[in-house]
Amino acid sequence: MSTVPIESLLHHSHLRDNSKIYRGTRSFFIPCSLNLPSHFTSNKLLHSIRTSVGASSKHRRSVAIRASSSDTAVVETAQSDDVIFKENFPVQRIEKAQGKIYVRLKQVKEKNWELSVGSSIPGKWILHWGVSYVGDTGSEWDQPPEDMRPPGSIAIKDYAIETPLKKLSEGDSFFEVAINLNLESSVAALNFVLKDEETGAWYQHKGRDFKVPLVDDVPDNGNLIGAKKGFGAIGQLSNIPLKQDESSAEVKKKSKSSSDSTKERKGLQEFYEEMPISKRVADDNSVSVTARKCSETSKNIVSIETDLPGDVTVHWGVCKNGSKKWEIPSEPYPEDTSLFKNKALRTRLQRKDDGNGSFGLFSLDGNLEGGEDFYVPFLTSSSSLVGTEATEAAQLSKHTPKTDKEVSASGFTDEIITEIRNLAIDIHSHKNQKTNVKEVQENILQEIEKLAAEAYSIFRSTTPTFSEESILAEAEKPDIKISSGTGSGFEILCQGFNWESHKSGRWYLELQEKADELASLGFTVLWLPPPTESVSPEGYMPKDLYNLNSRYGTIDELKDTVRKFHKVGIKVLGDAVLNHRCAHFKNQNGVWNLFGGRLNWDDRAVVADDPHFQGRGNKSSGDNFHAAPNIDHSQDFVRKDIKEWLCWMMEEVGYDGWRLDFVRGFWGGYVKDYMDASKPYFAVGEYWDSLSYTYGEMDYNQDAHRQRIVDWINATSGATGAFDVTTKGILHTALQKCEYWRLSDPKGKPPGVVGWWPSRAVTFIENHDTGSTQGHWRFPEGKEMQGYAYILTHPGTPAVFFDHIFSDYHPEIAALLSLRNRQKLHCRSEVNIDKSERDVYAAIIDDKVAMKIGPGHYEPPNGSKNWSVAVEGRDYKVWETS
Amino acid sequence: MEVSVIGNPQARIFRAELAYRELGFRFGSVVISGESRNRVTFCNQGSKWKEIAIRCSHRSVKCEAIVSDDAPPFLNSTSKSKSLESVKLFVGLPLDTVSDCNNVNHLKAITAGLKALKLLGVQGIELPIFWGVVEKEAVGRYEWSGYLAVAEIVKKVGLKLHASLSFHGSKHPEIGLPDWVAKIGEAEPGIYFTDRYGQQYKDCLSFAVDDVPVLHGKTPMEVYRGFCDSFKSAFSDYMGNTITGITLGLGPDGELRYPSHQQDVKCSGAGEFQCYDKHMLTALKAYAESTGNPLWGLGGPHDAPAYDQQPNSSSFFSDGGSWESQYGDFFLSWYSSLLTSHADRVLSVTSSAFSGIGVPLCGKLPLLHQWHKLRSQPSELTAGFYSSNGQDRYEAIAEIFAKNSCRVIIPGMDLSDEHQSPESLSSPESLLAHIKASCKKQGVVVSGQNSSTPLPGGFERIVENLKDENVGIDLFTYQRMGALFFSPEHFHAFTVFVRNLSQFELSSDDKAADVEDETVSIGSGTGAPSLQTA
Repeated sequence: MSTVPIESLLHHSHLRDNSKIYRGTRSFFIPCSLNLPSHFTSNKLLHSIRTSVGASSKHRRSVAIRASSSDTAVVETAQSDDVIFKENFPVQRIEKAQGKIYVRLKQVKEKNWELSVGSSIPGKWILHWGVSYVGDTGSEWDQPPEDMRPPGSIAIKDYAIETPLKKLSEGDSFFEVAINLNLESSVAALNFVLKDEETGAWYQHKGRDFKVPLVDDVPDNGNLIGAKKGFGAIGQLSNIPLKQDESSAEVKKKSKSSSDSTKERKGLQEFYEEMPISKRVADDNSVSVTARKCSETSKNIVSIETDLPGDVTVHWGVCKNGSKKWEIPSEPYPEDTSLFKNKALRTRLQRKDDGNGSFGLFSLDGNLEGGEDFYVPFLTSSSSLVGTEATEAAQLSKHTPKTDKEVSASGFTDEIITEIRNLAIDIHSHKNQKTNVKEVQENILQEIEKLAAEAYSIFRSTTPTFSEESILAEAEKPDIKISSGTGSGFEILCQGFNWESHKSGRWYLELQEKADELASLGFTVLWLPPPTESVSPEGYMPKDLYNLNSRYGTIDELKDTVRKFHKVGIKVLGDAVLNHRCAHFKNQNGVWNLFGGRLNWDDRAVVADDPHFQGRGNKSSGDNFHAAPNIDHSQDFVRKDIKEWLCWMMEEVGYDGWRLDFVRGFWGGYVKDYMDASKPYFAVGEYWDSLSYTYGEMDYNQDAHRQRIVDWINATSGATGAFDVTTKGILHTALQKCEYWRLSDPKGKPPGVVGWWPSRAVTFIENHDTGSTQGHWRFPEGKEMQGYAYILTHPGTPAVFFDHIFSDYHPEIAALLSLRNRQKLHCRSEVNIDKSERDVYAAIIDDKVAMKIGPGHYEPPNGSKNWSVAVEGRDYKVWETS
Repeated sequence: MEVSVIGNPQARIFRAELAYRELGFRFGSVVISGESRNRVTFCNQGSKWKEIAIRCSHRSVKCEAIVSDDAPPFLNSTSKSKSLESVKLFVGLPLDTVSDCNNVNHLKAITAGLKALKLLGVQGIELPIFWGVVEKEAVGRYEWSGYLAVAEIVKKVGLKLHASLSFHGSKHPEIGLPDWVAKIGEAEPGIYFTDRYGQQYKDCLSFAVDDVPVLHGKTPMEVYRGFCDSFKSAFSDYMGNTITGITLGLGPDGELRYPSHQQDVKCSGAGEFQCYDKHMLTALKAYAESTGNPLWGLGGPHDAPAYDQQPNSSSFFSDGGSWESQYGDFFLSWYSSLLTSHADRVLSVTSSAFSGIGVPLCGKLPLLHQWHKLRSQPSELTAGFYSSNGQDRYEAIAEIFAKNSCRVIIPGMDLSDEHQSPESLSSPESLLAHIKASCKKQGVVVSGQNSSTPLPGGFERIVENLKDENVGIDLFTYQRMGALFFSPEHFHAFTVFVRNLSQFELSSDDKAADVEDETVSIGSGTGAPSLQTA
């Protein structure tokens, strides 16, 4: 039974005289779904089972449960001979708990009023509240006076307070918080919403904040509670006092009037209101499926066992010869089997004797054997092929009558399309299944944004694509497997040089000596300086790309270094300067634009729109770097040569990937081309432009800036990451000016690229250009560790600058690196910003690491978790769960 | 009981009060519950009595009383605006969706874009199909493959398709008339519209050659007919299911008008008369002789202003000027009659070609709002809209649409008077209202489009136009997909616009659905930080 009414705990039963309204028979459909993190990424074999828990009661409540697994059908080994398939599917069942929220205003003493808010559903409830003062206009919240804040309250920025609800007493099922109202202050109304920490869900009142007016003339936007208003005439028709008004279609309310109101607040009257709520509670179960071959009868026997409570019905059919059509197998069927629309069978599983779950046995004809498949229908359409090797053909699926309402957590476009009806609605305007739809809506919105961004980037690049590939190809699910944009997802980058590294002439050798140390610190990727012959000693003015003798050392020293790092398990990135190249010769006008060496390009390889170099190529597909001829990547011969060169570098030197210099200079689509050709393990591009400032002050919203970086990554189809310049810029201002509130964007996410596309964001605080001896944009001095505390705990792929590693910060950086690896934080880790105020920023990452930076105070929330301090330093602190 | 009203917020409030008065306060607090649900649902406001669904149980008497006593004023009170639930939203594909070698341009972008639009809740897509692409090589040789590929994508994504058959060319991007037509045009420039300087407008054939066999022995009408027949058979699988509308190109840029602004520049003037091609002049001469004024048939008005001149700078358009004279009436009647008869010819030819397929046909009118505040309304005159004795200039046209059961598409629904420069004496709003009224009078269904460039406040204006219930607009096509459309700023605004439309739509679903009695809503609101999404 999936609907759990909790309502009947009549704590305030004397106030309820109309409870029958609630008892109506409602039939709920509660969809639940299960989403294994990787279940769409493997295109190998998918199994899934859909079960429905069909309660037999007349209310016809049912739950659809789908399970899936991406494991291959690794069966035939290790099992007993006749078992040909065995798989255990975890099933998450979402139960919907019904309960209520109540709001009560009561007079404790003269001039002493108390507002309590409570909930009858267990959970980590937080009251998120603020006040409006007399004379305030608009809907802004303010901080309440200190003396109104109950103990345990936490201030959120300058406008709200969060106070946890507590159990009234042990054994009581209500959670409550009481606020003493300070009527001496000019508080006009109290605003709040309820937050459930466990699910992150917010509970509001008719789509807005709850608002409890404490004076008479609070403007009513329809969300007042216990407010007095109404129609004069109606009062006379009714013997219930005037203040009982509630025009909402959803709110039931009983109130008791209080005749003696205080003089100061003559409008203030006691009241009590309840509102029903529901909450989804996840419950883990599993279904195990075993298929056996019975040698005597040459039948296949499939047994299904589950610990799902209640009656479980299996909705099943078989399929033959790889067709994905459901067919009805021949009889006999197990007990309790009925035919469903001539297309499938439904078998109710037998209860286990111990009462915990059910099981069933299905015997199927042996002649189904051979080339037949397990497969699974996801929702209505797409079926995934399973187990081409399996010799069993049984299709097991459990199913509910109303699949159209099912919510699938997966983001497949095709599936989502069936959900489109639910889309373009404001969340509150949609009355049906609000809780269920939320997830889908978010998926859809994300999907739309992604698609629109894709369309935008292609339309914007003027070259029309004629490729026939992927007409309606399946939208790719963000993948967890290794891709050049992310590496394994657990990479930590070390920038292995600074602006002075060329000076010794033997940098490669010097770096080699540090290989063991860098490995033991926990770095997984090393970024080497540009290796080619260069006009400038640092290597960023390449000339002959095939000459790898540079100021950093010879080609042999380079190869040796790469080998050394590979030995200690560190991948190596080459710094590829593809935007520009210095010429060997002058043309007839005396302009340097003819190249020599193995890539002896002429002026057709130079973009046409930089007058200094008189290129005869096309116009640049990006910005120009004016110190050297910019290469025209739109020329086929140029791209062909570059691809060859990249492959050669990989082969010859042993590079594993790329750091791409000045990628603003050419279209990201070409970068994708290069990545496709060279297949790096990891690649990151430098897309560096200015953040937005207004009158010298950095804007809070840097969305345009990060959008440009995201656009570029998008243009590469996510084949590379990009340095998160936005995050660095915001950290600068936040730390320097003590404006830590900047570190949460309006949506409560990190404000840099890492907030939008964490897996492709390479976070850093300093590099050879911004810091070192150039110092073009140096990180606030003395605050570097705060920066590292941020990037080394947050999602994205962090990059640590060489100078910082070998400085006084060494031990602190080492501790953070070790924490990141120990807690397995990765580029897609989930970050929940807990606090972002003037002087402190705090976040919890993957529920296992908490961090704060800034001088302000913060302690991770006490609760089930046991936090212990992992690293601590000046103005930062990091905790981990033990 | 639950009372749901689909309409504007005013109506809702009114409704609520009503319920209180009649039913009293005890059960007036509008509680929904499974058992005691009395439901009165007013469907969309244009409904008649029978469409008012009343679902009542034990309180039915009272409910009916409410309806019968108070409903008429209530319905009237909502009549200021109509609900948007019935408006279908389409988005136009780029003009160069299919290249002249029948490739689909930006295929990936279009595919991604279509998916995004589908997810957003857009119902369909408008696809401009160019004569110059399909029948490029030779008369009667059609190549539909590019457009068929697009139709297939649209179908797969699950969108509807509105095909616009374009018998014109385009300057941006450059798409001409078919090569073989252009070749004929070189030899015989008289097939093109021509202004008094002898400049030809090569993106559309002159109305005067409609029935002249200038195209290798065929008349343009016959060629258009062949094109339509071929389209019909090539897309037969899509007709009625994916393709839900066909727009017929009636002139320059598909609009029914003369190319009075030949050069695609922002000219300050009212445009010039385009009656100087060989066939036009012949027709004018014949008409002049038949009306007994042979001297009037030698050319167009001599005192009309040039492209870059203000309309008032010469005597033709000024108050009491030639346009109001007997000559003016003679010339303008003839000039506009050619336009009207062209519309009639194209629409009757094509409606017979498409008869029986059950897909509505449309034609597009221009919104010539510049100089609309001048009495002569010169932009409309040069484009061919005129009626003797100051009668409704759009009535004859609307009649023709009505006769051929065609719908009218009016562009410029995003234009508002306040954004026009005062010097242009322009009034898109009043002209739009005028055309809509003329169409309504003839019972012609109106669809809307925006002007091609996004304007400040454009979306709000569109919504206002769509809500206007005087003329029920059931289809709006937003122009047009491309880089600008998907740019973050614009796409966001568009998303908001779609939501504004859809909100109405979804509330209409509520009337059928069983509404759960939940009071909570999930999501962000004022004061509360928004949700964390992982």
